[in-house]
Amino acid sequence: MTSLKRSTADPYATNISSKVFVRSTKSGKVQKIVRELYLRQDIPCSSRLCSICLTNAPADANGFIAPFILSEKPAGTGNFPTGHYLVPDTNALLNGLDLFEQKTGFYDVIILQTVLEELRNRSLPLYNRVIGLTKSEDKHFYVFFNDFRLETYVVREHGETINDRNDRAVRRAVSWYGEHLQHSLKTSNKAKQCPAIVMLSDDKDNLRKAKAEKLSACSLSEYVSGLEDANRLLDMINASRQEQGSRTTIGQQLYPDYFSLSRMMTGIRAGTLHQGIFNVSPYNYLEGTVHVPAFDKSLLILGRENSNRAISGDVVVVEVLPKAQWKAPSTKIIEEDTLNKNENAETEEGATEAVVSEQERRALQEEVKKTHGNNIEGRPQPTARVVGVTKRNWRQYVGHIDSSSTSVATQGRRQQTVFLIPMDKRIPKIRLRTRQAEALFGKRVLVTIDSWDQESRYPIGHFVRSLGDLETKGAETEALLLEHDVQYRPFPKGVLDCLPQEGHDWSVPASLDDLGWKGRRDLRDLLVCSIDPVGCQDIDDALHARPLPNGNFEIGVHIADVSHFVKPNNAMDAEASIRGTTVYLVDKRIDMLPMLLGTDLCSLKPYVERYAFSVLWEISKDAEIINSAFTKSVIRSREAFSYEQAQLRIDDRAQKDDLTQGMRTLLMLSKKLKQKRMEAGALNLASPEVRVQTESETSDPVDVKTKELLDTNSLVEEFMLLANISVAGKNYEAFPQTALLRRHAAPPKSNFEELANQLKVKRGFSLRTESSKAVAESLDRCTDPKEPFFNTLVRIMATRCMMSAEYFCSGTQSYPEFRHYGLASEIYTHFTSPIRRYADLVAHRQLAAAIEYEQLDISLYSKARLEEVCKNINVRHRNAQMAGRASIEYYVGQALKGRVVDEEGFVMKVFSNGFVVFVPRFGIEGLIRLRDLATPEPESIFDAEEYVLRVSGSIKVKVELFQKVVVRISDVKEEFTGKRKIKLDLVKS
Amino acid sequence: MPLDTSTYHLSHALLRLDGRRWNELRRLHAQISTQASADGSSYLEMGNTKVICTVSGPGEVRGGGGGGRKEGLERENAIVNAEVSIAGFSGVERRKKGIGGGGGGGKGDRRTMEKIQNVIAAAFTDIVFTHLYPHSTIVITVHILSSDGSILAASLNAATLALIDAGVPMKDYVVACTSGLTPPAADIGEGDASDPLLDLRGGGGGELRFWGGGGGGGGERVCVCVMESRVRVERVEGMLAVGVDGCKQVREILDGVVRAQGRRVVGSVVRQGGR
Ligand SMILES: [Zn+2]
Repeated sequence: MTSLKRSTADPYATNISSKVFVRSTKSGKVQKIVRELYLRQDIPCSSRLCSICLTNAPADANGFIAPFILSEKPAGTGNFPTGHYLVPDTNALLNGLDLFEQKTGFYDVIILQTVLEELRNRSLPLYNRVIGLTKSEDKHFYVFFNDFRLETYVVREHGETINDRNDRAVRRAVSWYGEHLQHSLKTSNKAKQCPAIVMLSDDKDNLRKAKAEKLSACSLSEYVSGLEDANRLLDMINASRQEQGSRTTIGQQLYPDYFSLSRMMTGIRAGTLHQGIFNVSPYNYLEGTVHVPAFDKSLLILGRENSNRAISGDVVVVEVLPKAQWKAPSTKIIEEDTLNKNENAETEEGATEAVVSEQERRALQEEVKKTHGNNIEGRPQPTARVVGVTKRNWRQYVGHIDSSSTSVATQGRRQQTVFLIPMDKRIPKIRLRTRQAEALFGKRVLVTIDSWDQESRYPIGHFVRSLGDLETKGAETEALLLEHDVQYRPFPKGVLDCLPQEGHDWSVPASLDDLGWKGRRDLRDLLVCSIDPVGCQDIDDALHARPLPNGNFEIGVHIADVSHFVKPNNAMDAEASIRGTTVYLVDKRIDMLPMLLGTDLCSLKPYVERYAFSVLWEISKDAEIINSAFTKSVIRSREAFSYEQAQLRIDDRAQKDDLTQGMRTLLMLSKKLKQKRMEAGALNLASPEVRVQTESETSDPVDVKTKELLDTNSLVEEFMLLANISVAGKNYEAFPQTALLRRHAAPPKSNFEELANQLKVKRGFSLRTESSKAVAESLDRCTDPKEPFFNTLVRIMATRCMMSAEYFCSGTQSYPEFRHYGLASEIYTHFTSPIRRYADLVAHRQLAAAIEYEQLDISLYSKARLEEVCKNINVRHRNAQMAGRASIEYYVGQALKGRVVDEEGFVMKVFSNGFVVFVPRFGIEGLIRLRDLATPEPESIFDAEEYVLRVSGSIKVKVELFQKVVVRISDVKEEFTGKRKIKLDLVKS
Repeated sequence: MPLDTSTYHLSHALLRLDGRRWNELRRLHAQISTQASADGSSYLEMGNTKVICTVSGPGEVRGGGGGGRKEGLERENAIVNAEVSIAGFSGVERRKKGIGGGGGGGKGDRRTMEKIQNVIAAAFTDIVFTHLYPHSTIVITVHILSSDGSILAASLNAATLALIDAGVPMKDYVVACTSGLTPPAADIGEGDASDPLLDLRGGGGGELRFWGGGGGGGGERVCVCVMESRVRVERVEGMLAVGVDGCKQVREILDGVVRAQGRRVVGSVVRQGGR
């Protein structure tokens, strides 16, 4: 038998290495993976100075060669006057990524594959931000695949740790870049200066070795110190890791150790530990809940020690405490700023304090003393403690510096430690080290959390940037957008390039032979009109109705044909899919699509021809659907009405034209449709909605009004619901696995328990919850003839017991789960607002494919991709709603500034030391604490079973749930935080 | 953990996890006449996929099961049979001894083996001048020692070499390779860069597989084409082009191996003759 030994003449032999790694599978098996590694010499350095790499740069399947990224003349600094390329190692990115995102510096950066892979393992959010930077055109970030390039590939030596190997790979790449560029410049004979290749690292050992190898290398702080604006930039370096190695004294351990990963995994598999998302109560920062799959009800996490450094939003692993330690959820309001003010941020370093401050301990003791009643509020709940965090969901936080947290006024570059109080009450104070404390007082500040060690009572973070003075409109609006993760940067050039060349001059082609007319029905002769809020510019939808000879009606809903303009997978589509939705603030709209489309070319403006996607039904007099059809079309809207105008026109008997008659038909049918929906069990829920009237010029708030609902509001709504339901059915029929739908799950019975009990105890109503119809009917019965608002109040409270509706991909759920509980519809989707919602755009594409107007893009066949889209738009949708609400809240506050108003309010929730009052006129709810009633804080008896708080002592009042009260609304500026708040005071109970 | 394929899009580098570009084969190493006892034999590696192939025949019809013999005697042409077995240690996880013995694992495994056997037999029935050997059989036996994707392609290539070694006349080489598509990026906003890929590895994670085998005069004829998953019709052309191109590269390499072997044989004959 011939030997099978490989011949030495193998041309590949020198370029092949193999990578052996061990991985463990989900089922717990360990696999050894052997992978060949093909090393190559055609991976370009991507410097525009280099002519060598240009000649053998690789092309993709379409022959496209990626343009070179690194500048010909990179910026220089004092230390590197001839210009420089930066090569950060992994810890430089971990410690200072905010620096790399600056506009004032950090251009021309080489990201090594070794670093990128390591970063991905260490922190996915940071990794994603680096990927974002590599896509930015102006930052010049280049990913160099050093592990695939023959000259820069480094074999791990025997006994070498992976970290050391990776550091060596970074140094090797730095050295190669230097030699390669010099060589390249020499051969091209260009009289250009070779830029320095600067390694950035915070690892002392790596820096030392680099210097020994005669490479340019410096730490982040060394490098930044050489830049202008050093003070501001130095603050942005991660506080916790920076001092690695230098911190020798280990403080007292304030928090328990986390379990090891394997112990947590074993525990979860065995069912003794549970995993879920940690949520903090907005009323009590020391009380959190974790919903875990094993139980119907959430587990309670009480106190700092039990929450063990988890921050709201983190994915945590919890252990249920022994039954003796179970507690009832708090009936008390606990706010961090009132308990822990006047703490000195610097003293922490003394490492002598306990996790629970004396004041907190007292607050908790009172909790325990509380009477245990029979109702749900008082009963001890399964309580748990956090034993580990599997995923941190830290983001950037906006807040303000607590000016009382530091006493020493210092100047110069000396760092001092201050506390940042986040706007989000569920987030603990964050300790910051800063050199510019004084300049930051009174500002809105953006920060990042870096770590939370066992020795530190509060998490440690670093400064990112200042948004401006507190209470200025610019700073507060930006803060609100950041807090809700709304993408508000202007559309980049790549997106704008996707717009039609003709700009505002674009029009529907005159010739019917034009390609644009292919597959479109000419519906220009229909009397179509739109009905929207006053001043609406992005008109998504328009309607028409006309009688048919057989006595039935033809009804049409026409939706802006956005998918004609936004093609799948181009830059504009990508941007829209990330934004997910348009965000409406009181004085500002953050568009999902560029203005040109949203307010002009797609918008179904009156008197001009527009492309539309039409849903046409034949409907009988009794609002029975005879048939439905879908088509791309061209329409010409005859009029754009506001709800009020439309209502007036319909009500005006003198108007007898066809357009008005059509609207009357629509109104008549919409009432019947609504009736049917209600009979099927649709819920009529309420959420407080107010409108802020602003002065048009300055957009300063003038007045606040509750939204008024007209019949025409409901007219439009009914037909939009009908269109959405029809399209959902059609798309599901065509794409059973991948239709994008919207569902609203039935709330678990336990969600209603508390409200049901409250209604029963206080008013003797029974709330039946076995179906949405039962809920609807019992809500209808909850009325108080003397108090018309009572019913609305109950509906508002019921709304808060509901699940939130969500987008999903049809293949991920079984058909019964598709149901939309609130609308009592078997199937539902969003189709009618493609200008402002990405989900609708996807539904348009699917419908276009379903009616064979065009082929479906391959990305919409992928369930995984659609799930990803759904996940994102669900989050964006929720954020947009919250941002909108926060904006109204801010403006209501501004409208009330300097004014004192007495208003009617209703008690929504009673605690043992305060209560929540809802003020319908302004749609605001506010807390009134016992200590607000009188000083010193009056005595009180809290009857948890009856939801009554009896205050005695200096002031005698009885406050109970659902009670109507009069409150005085004013705004106060809290002295030590400089934050303006709406304050409610009890005037009459 | 290595970066996934979609990440490599962003640099436009389109490097795969093992450092290859979209249009590159793995290292292909082959030897011919590796087992003196067989009529023809070969050993072939495509990356970490390693196969041994032996050929016996053309010879008398063996007494197989059923009426095979009778049927064989009546036939004008030779029958090409293929037997494929896969070693228990070939994959990442050791295979359980299956009911069928010989190493085939579960039902799915056996079905895969059967499919490969049928494809090999059909391909070579078409290419071998079977009319030259009436009433006889050619048996191609393939042992897969190590499996890292593209095992059908590797088996076909190895069989070509072993048949040449056995001196069986053929119209041309049957050469094979796989081609596939990069998965459409699951990340939103990543764009729809679904590019063709040549020579797929095993366990690559979500690569669509399509299998193109080529052979015939001038190397342009496609005699076997197996699709392993659903692919959109407009992508097929691109994948086919990449596959055919890959087959040309494979053919050159196999041709080199055959010619080198030829020179060695001639050399030794000349030396023996000179003695
Ligand atoms: Zn170069």
